[in-house]
Amino acid sequence: MASPATSQSKTAVGAVISVVVGILVVAAVGTTLHAHSNLDAPAGYAKVNGTIVAPDGKTYPHAFINDNVFADAADSKIHGSSGGHAGWPSYGPYINLVLPAHTYVTMTMHVYDGGEKMNTPYFASVVGTVGGTINIDGKNVSSLPNDGVQHTFTLHGLPTSSQDPLFVNVPLPKTPEGQQDEPGSPLPKGYTVTFSFITGGKGNYVWNCEYPCGDSTYQNFGAVMGAPGYMNGKVTVI
Amino acid sequence: MEHQDDEDLKPTPGERVKQVLKEKDVRQVLFFFVLFTALFSILGLWAYPRWMPNIMSKEMRGDESIMIWFTVISAPIAGIVLAFAMRSFIDIQRGDTPPEDGPAISGHTPTVVIWTAVSFLFCTVAIVWGMTEMNTWSQDAIAKESNAMVVNVTGAQWSWSFNYPAQGITTHELNLPVKQPITFNVISDDVNHSFWPVELGVKVDANRLATTVVHVTPDKIGAFEVKCAELCGIYHAYMETNGQVESRADFDNWVSTVKAQGGAQ
Amino acid sequence: MTTLTHNPAASGPAASRPVPQPKKSLITRLHMGTGMVVGIIFCWGTYFVLRHHFSSPYRINHDEGLTDSHNVNITLLASMFMWCLGFLIGIGALIGPFRWLIGKDLTAEEQLYLAGDGQDWKRYFRYCTDHKVVGIQYLVGVMTLLGAGGTMAMMIRTNLVTPGSHFVAPHVYNSLVGLHGITMIIALIIVSTGPFGNFIMPIMIGAADMAFPRLNALSWWVLFTAIPVLCSAWFLGGIPTGWTAYAPLSTQAGPGMNAFLATIIIFAFSTAVAGANITTTVIAMRAKGMTWNRVPIFVVGATISVALAVPAFPTFMAAMIQTGLDRTFATGFYDANIGGSGWLYANLFWIMGHPEVYVILIPGVAALMEIAPVFVRKPLFSYGAAIAGFAGIAGLSILVWAHHMYMSGWMPSLNGPFMVTTEFISIPTGLLFLVLIGTMWRGRPWMKLPMLSVYAFIWDFLIGGITGIYLSDVPADNYLHGSMYVTAHFHYTLMGAALTGAIGGLAFWFPKMTGRMLNERGGYISFWLVQIGFNVLFLGMFLSGAEGQPRRVADYGQVFAHANLISTVGAYSVGVGALILLWAVIHSARSGKIAPMNPWGSKTLEWTVPYPVPLVNFDEPPIVTSDPYGYGRSVK
Repeated sequence: MASPATSQSKTAVGAVISVVVGILVVAAVGTTLHAHSNLDAPAGYAKVNGTIVAPDGKTYPHAFINDNVFADAADSKIHGSSGGHAGWPSYGPYINLVLPAHTYVTMTMHVYDGGEKMNTPYFASVVGTVGGTINIDGKNVSSLPNDGVQHTFTLHGLPTSSQDPLFVNVPLPKTPEGQQDEPGSPLPKGYTVTFSFITGGKGNYVWNCEYPCGDSTYQNFGAVMGAPGYMNGKVTVI
Repeated sequence: MEHQDDEDLKPTPGERVKQVLKEKDVRQVLFFFVLFTALFSILGLWAYPRWMPNIMSKEMRGDESIMIWFTVISAPIAGIVLAFAMRSFIDIQRGDTPPEDGPAISGHTPTVVIWTAVSFLFCTVAIVWGMTEMNTWSQDAIAKESNAMVVNVTGAQWSWSFNYPAQGITTHELNLPVKQPITFNVISDDVNHSFWPVELGVKVDANRLATTVVHVTPDKIGAFEVKCAELCGIYHAYMETNGQVESRADFDNWVSTVKAQGGAQ
Repeated sequence: MTTLTHNPAASGPAASRPVPQPKKSLITRLHMGTGMVVGIIFCWGTYFVLRHHFSSPYRINHDEGLTDSHNVNITLLASMFMWCLGFLIGIGALIGPFRWLIGKDLTAEEQLYLAGDGQDWKRYFRYCTDHKVVGIQYLVGVMTLLGAGGTMAMMIRTNLVTPGSHFVAPHVYNSLVGLHGITMIIALIIVSTGPFGNFIMPIMIGAADMAFPRLNALSWWVLFTAIPVLCSAWFLGGIPTGWTAYAPLSTQAGPGMNAFLATIIIFAFSTAVAGANITTTVIAMRAKGMTWNRVPIFVVGATISVALAVPAFPTFMAAMIQTGLDRTFATGFYDANIGGSGWLYANLFWIMGHPEVYVILIPGVAALMEIAPVFVRKPLFSYGAAIAGFAGIAGLSILVWAHHMYMSGWMPSLNGPFMVTTEFISIPTGLLFLVLIGTMWRGRPWMKLPMLSVYAFIWDFLIGGITGIYLSDVPADNYLHGSMYVTAHFHYTLMGAALTGAIGGLAFWFPKMTGRMLNERGGYISFWLVQIGFNVLFLGMFLSGAEGQPRRVADYGQVFAHANLISTVGAYSVGVGALILLWAVIHSARSGKIAPMNPWGSKTLEWTVPYPVPLVNFDEPPIVTSDPYGYGRSVK
């Protein structure tokens, strides 16, 4: 029969092994959830190209970045993006953006979807861009009609003492019914929307769309609107 | 003569109390009672002012005051319970067999009655304090209703917007003039949110198609934060924005600037 | 109704009794495996039929304004319920009622077989009606749920260790918060009444079994079917709500929400059945001489708790059914656009939600009140005050629900009255403290894990209770509602009080449930790691709440960094402590020191039976002549 000392140390070993196994199980679950979070999805990096003098008189480095909004997965794939859930609109190819700090950022978006009424009319106005306007196919506007929006690019973040506030709201114009992009193509006509804003210091922000396209869910803000990777993403200012 | 001797032997209430206080375990309980009560009182007086954010309104002052003083008032309750528990704990005995039985005290009605009465008293103090504070707030709101500035707060998944009907602007940041009574009419365009201008010490949920109202008068200039206090979906944590209480002149300048930009900012 | 006690074949020691061998029939062939097979067949069958139906032009809601989301919800909900029904059919739950219906009731031999008479470990995987088997099944179920919920808690705290949220994405975090909450709530509702209410309680009152043995097995296996349903939420996209599942976020939610709804409806059924069983058993089957003032306090507490659950839980079930209808047939219970209101949900939910936390609390406290007299060798101080405390809490708890809705804007004029009722609940709660400290006064405490739990409870519940008073104050709630302060408060009461009580109960009754002593050193190490870690975790959370951090947030501002780091460190300590306790339980159950019949020198009836406890518990039904707290010499 084992002496008390041996069986005591045996039980201690058993306890330690259990703790280690438990930690490994929890770690495995954590790793799976982390992987499923898709936090390292490919991000679009704004590229600096020259400088520009802003309306406030200061000179900033000028960075450029492009992105698109697609009406559905097929549309997204035709334009070389990743597709996704059939029938769901998406931003692509970039869902996360990385922008340089203290920079005049010009964003160009090609947008292809239709739209209906906004839940919140405020987000049909342009907020936070240089000059308070966006440029749609050559024309500057400072707001869109409440039922003329297909999606919005609404950038915001935590008001914390450790980063500068940044808020940009850009409503994207809906394409009219039945207009085609290329002759014979089933895609709605796209618009090119360009706008600029000035980033502050380093910080972590998010963006989400404020146009309710989560069909058949309450206030149309479920489904695609609440799913990661379609209508919301991260913006990191570095 | 015998009769008189018997009466001399019975202790008076005063002597009885002195006898009880001489017992070791009673003194230990009293010691721990004083210790724990003091600790909790100091905690309340020191911790909450340090932990809680800037006070920028009377309502917030009231909130913090309740946290501090309820801690101090409940300190003796914590003190007495912990004192008895501690007194028991220091006597704990190891061993493989149970210790010797203790005295067969299966109840003591006067103790239960006094305990219940004292709890009732504490309860009443808390209720009266709370009701008085609530009443002050609502009387205040009613009195100031006519000069209150209205701000319509809209919660949407996942940003706040503030419409100032008198000024004709809608913004994503909440600027307010100091010492001006404000009436917030709060509504949601989708799911439940909760409008929480933290340093102003008020809060009310935002519901769809049902306006809820809260009144506050910011009385200190400075920055504050507006947060959402009701889980509302994927970006609930990011549904925050900045607020600023400023002088009347600065506020009017800000309104003009926003109007010049088209009324939306 | 069958009564095993009247069956001569069931009395006498098991070794000399003939092992029942009913003809090779359906009953002897069914078990958990067959249950799962039939359940899966029913589930997938329903899924495929409905999917086919909804993609055909003849689908019932064609052109009625219902769309893919609604169809998906119908399909998933139906499949989940059919899984539950299929499992119950496959494990033989319906055989008894069906045989009764057709007039060929189960024979005595078949009933003994169902009770697991003479069977080995396999009876734990069958539809076994022995309350002791059901108690162990509940213990394993509770430990599984606590383990899953605890793992999720570790994920949550890891995500919040620093600002910047780089561990999981916000939608995963929200799912973690909501599913952690519901898993733990379910686990805590049954944590004491499940294992101890089933295994120990009938022996404690001198009964041979519970009033409805088949319902007993049913309550466990119905709960079992809810577990995979709950887990399926993770594979269906998670849930965006907290465990409170507020509408209309819940109606907006994706497919994972259906798993939540189905779990609650199934679970509510299980607890209703269990509640009826426990209440009837205690009312009708006490031993001769056990008058109401001689009933052990744990039995009283457990009974009051389940009796409170009976009126409360149906409103949660109703709220979930309405949410389900909104999600499947576009009814407008919670849709303000067509005349509904989220406040309806909030009221229904909290009418359940507040009594429910007392359903959780009372058995834990009652277990500690059972423990304290044994370990300080003194009678329970004021049995009457204990009853008044439990009954007062249970009664008042039905009148306080809208203190969760002070800030909802629903009915500000009712804030005052609800503040009054809520404050008043602190009076019966205070009596519970008096009973415990009165019991401890002038007793010599025996240093054992159950007694340590009593001390831990006092510290934890004191903090939980007092912070509840701040929250009940309407003006203070303007600041505190929806902040981490609330989260810290309810963890102190639910985990610090109820779970600590359950752990004390486990340490106390372990020798009777397993025949062995729980490893002491492991128990102590676990206890201190858990308690110290718990206090660090949630005191840190009071700090972040007071500083203004909202609850259920995947990320936070820099100012909350210190408090969150402190909390996360505390959480890891709780995790390690819990793992050690898990090891101690499993190791001791298999190879711990063999326990004497009454290792604690307790005077309640369960300590008069040997281990393994005979099928009908007592060879002779006991006769009770006094309450079980007859310790001590007389006071001079």
